[in-house]
Amino acid sequence: MNTSRFTTIAALLLLSLAGCRKEQVFDGPSLEDLNKSFALLQPFAANKDSVAFGNKELVTFTAKFNKTVQWHIHIRGSASKAHKVISGQGNEIAAPAGIWNGSTTYFPMFTEEPCTATLRIDGLSDSFSLPVKITSVKKNPGLLLSDFENGINSMWRRFVQSGASMDLATKQDSLAPQGNGYLNMAGTVSWDWLTVMLDIPAIPYGGAVLPLNSNPDAVYFNCLIYGVPNTNPSLVLFQFKEDDNKDGNFNSNTEDQYDLQVNVNWSGWKLVSVKYSDIISLSNGQPTTPKGDSKHNPDKISVISMLHLADPKGGFANTKVDYLCFTSTPLEP
Amino acid sequence: MRTLHLTLFILATAWANQLQAQKTVSFTGAARSAVNNNTFNTQDSIPDTSTVMRNTTGYALIDLGVNIRPNKHTEILGMFRIRNQYGGFWGAGVGFDVRQLWLKGIVANAVRYQLGDLNLKQTPFTLYNHHADRPDSMPDVFLLQQRIVDYERFYSRNTWRQQGLQADFGLSFAKLVKEVDFNGYLTRLRASNLADIPDRLMGGVTVDVLQSKHLALSWNGFSVFDVRGTAADTNRMDNRVQTFGLTYAGNIAGGQLLIKGESGTSKLAFSNAAGLTSLQDYFIYVSGKLLFPTKHLSLEAGYMNIGPDFRSIGAQSKDINYQNSGGLFNRYANGNSLRAPALLELMGNEQVYQTSVSSSLMPAAQEFNAVLPYGTATFNRLGGFAGLRYAHPSGFSVDLKHHQLREIRGQGTLSLKAFQQTKAHFLLDIAKLSGTRKGKKLRFGIERQSVNRSSNIAFETVDFNRWRLSAGAEVEVFKKIDLLFGMVQQQSKGADFIPDRDEYSRVSFLNRTSYQNKQQLLAGGIRCRFEGNTYFTAFYQQQVNKKPSEGTPDYQIRQFSLIYNMNF
Repeated sequence: MNTSRFTTIAALLLLSLAGCRKEQVFDGPSLEDLNKSFALLQPFAANKDSVAFGNKELVTFTAKFNKTVQWHIHIRGSASKAHKVISGQGNEIAAPAGIWNGSTTYFPMFTEEPCTATLRIDGLSDSFSLPVKITSVKKNPGLLLSDFENGINSMWRRFVQSGASMDLATKQDSLAPQGNGYLNMAGTVSWDWLTVMLDIPAIPYGGAVLPLNSNPDAVYFNCLIYGVPNTNPSLVLFQFKEDDNKDGNFNSNTEDQYDLQVNVNWSGWKLVSVKYSDIISLSNGQPTTPKGDSKHNPDKISVISMLHLADPKGGFANTKVDYLCFTSTPLEP
Repeated sequence: MRTLHLTLFILATAWANQLQAQKTVSFTGAARSAVNNNTFNTQDSIPDTSTVMRNTTGYALIDLGVNIRPNKHTEILGMFRIRNQYGGFWGAGVGFDVRQLWLKGIVANAVRYQLGDLNLKQTPFTLYNHHADRPDSMPDVFLLQQRIVDYERFYSRNTWRQQGLQADFGLSFAKLVKEVDFNGYLTRLRASNLADIPDRLMGGVTVDVLQSKHLALSWNGFSVFDVRGTAADTNRMDNRVQTFGLTYAGNIAGGQLLIKGESGTSKLAFSNAAGLTSLQDYFIYVSGKLLFPTKHLSLEAGYMNIGPDFRSIGAQSKDINYQNSGGLFNRYANGNSLRAPALLELMGNEQVYQTSVSSSLMPAAQEFNAVLPYGTATFNRLGGFAGLRYAHPSGFSVDLKHHQLREIRGQGTLSLKAFQQTKAHFLLDIAKLSGTRKGKKLRFGIERQSVNRSSNIAFETVDFNRWRLSAGAEVEVFKKIDLLFGMVQQQSKGADFIPDRDEYSRVSFLNRTSYQNKQQLLAGGIRCRFEGNTYFTAFYQQQVNKKPSEGTPDYQIRQFSLIYNMNF
């Protein structure tokens, strides 16, 4: 008992020695600094007024302020109405935070057009603008399956269910998120989930299988999908069929099929970008074991099927897709 | 995969039936069916035409566990879950999963081990699920929803669910100390993607020394680290915490004295973080409790000093992810407003709760906990606390607790914020008080939190207050049939600077945020209790949220729920 008491009291005394403390520094930016009147120490500028993103050129925006601020650069295309937002915080804008590579934040993508870059500072009503002209648009390296600028590839196989208001065709209008065209998939099928379907074989891309990297961690599948407001929710199912034994045919009983099921529960255009190794096999929407070698082999994809599905009880369903492509990193449109 | 699960399940069940006859197998599990009808309503200057204002969701599930004891030293549990979502889209409603799988046993009658799923905790500063934002003493109508969350997220007495291995053993001595117990675990928080994300492991060791019936000491080591060589990226994280604990129990002045203390250090380092070497700090936490059993009274007082750079991933992970709105009416005001978790989600939506610890510091919600958002492990807090508990056997109890704290290091200024938290909870067991057999319980609670900072510079001033009132009743009207009522009302007013933090948890910006939020959750229903832990309940609850945040419109959610729950 005495030992216990002594130990306890000694420990408490020791702790009390370290008791009070107050530090003469503070965390984060100074509030006094944040609260002072804003001043632009170095004007908002761009390192070039015309840029060829297609030649891997970049625009670097710069500015200096007298205090830490939250800043946003809004770049808008005068013709396309594309909108890019670059945001950051600090007392200056410089590379790398201030670099624009020609990508967009809100669809559509930029075209060759004059743009206006506007700097806005949180809590400040004034803004600062400058012009930037795009002379060639950003290129996205990878395998482009289709951007639907010239209709549906004639070697793709189409299937359209019997139903009402069925549509599986490209459209050319201002809704296109890239270029002028996109694919419209729509219809009312009261007896089945499937409305329309496209089979995309590898042959138009140069061989029996798609020319992709064999490493599934270095292959991303990308597409832009449009959710039509106030319609029966759509589901877009991509089936990646691998010719594991390289016999020129896909056998669903002995070879791998990986499935990307996209529940289109949003309105407007949205980028879907998925690493190939993250795509799993599905059976009726539920995970299942692949039937081949169970390895993701993007270099063995012989066919991609794209299905538009909708609840038959829900009535008319409609969605649109554009810019189907594979890249080595997530697509930055 | 589902076919594989189903085959495994059938084989396990068949084998289990075989072994049942030998008394080496038992079944355990739970079943639940729930239906929720939800209605949303909002008033905005622009009519909301894009939000779906009503929905009905529901599911039925069964968890079937097979507990196998192949010999007296080994025990295996495999639990399968079959879940059917009502009205699933494109067959997506049916799920068949392995919910739990573990094996445990004893080696050489000395070392106990467990492999597979583990429910782990160490101390409040190493690995501990604080449930910091949960209201204390909840009315039963909310408590039954909270128990479903606990079951779904494997919360059991402040544990976190992990996968890995755990082992413990003890040694007894004749002199100096009575017993020394060793406990260690190693789990994997994250798997490498074999490219740029390394394996992240979490491990801990506790050595408990029982010196006598009065004194116990402990040493606790906790670590989360990235494994070198498992990815090309070289920015490896390393968080180490070491603590010493002390527990003293003795008799004093006609009562019992219980002193608990813990003190230690932490280090958070990244091997390749620009401008950051490491964050290192220490903490001290001591509490003393006086218990007077004959007077049904206990008194508590304590001191805490948690350094501003104290970082412990295992103790500072929040159970609620405020960036997840829980899937119910996520967006409103024509899609312009994201709905953040409110009291309704806090009480019973398991979608916003996390199962495992988070490697990065999770954001806190000022409205729900401005004083100790990471529980007692909240960094940058210095001060004391005191409490009182009186629980008379006749059926009346009262709990009072007050925290008086301040910052150690200012944020954006040398001026320090002061924090106050006062909680009072009362329970009246009318059945006991009046001597009747039918249960009647009334609960009342009041909590206040305040954050203040006075400064010569007006802009730096902080004045934030939050009040929370709760009341509940549980009345047994017929045998095993209860009427349940509950109310929680919360009001947040004032302004504070909310920090943005970078990926290393350092403050990068301070946002002055004003609060005028008022939330109310009202619930009422009926519960029929059957044998064991089986019940059926039907209840209605209504969430009103006024001025959820600056610029977001008020909303109201009405929810009618039917739940049948069984544990076996």
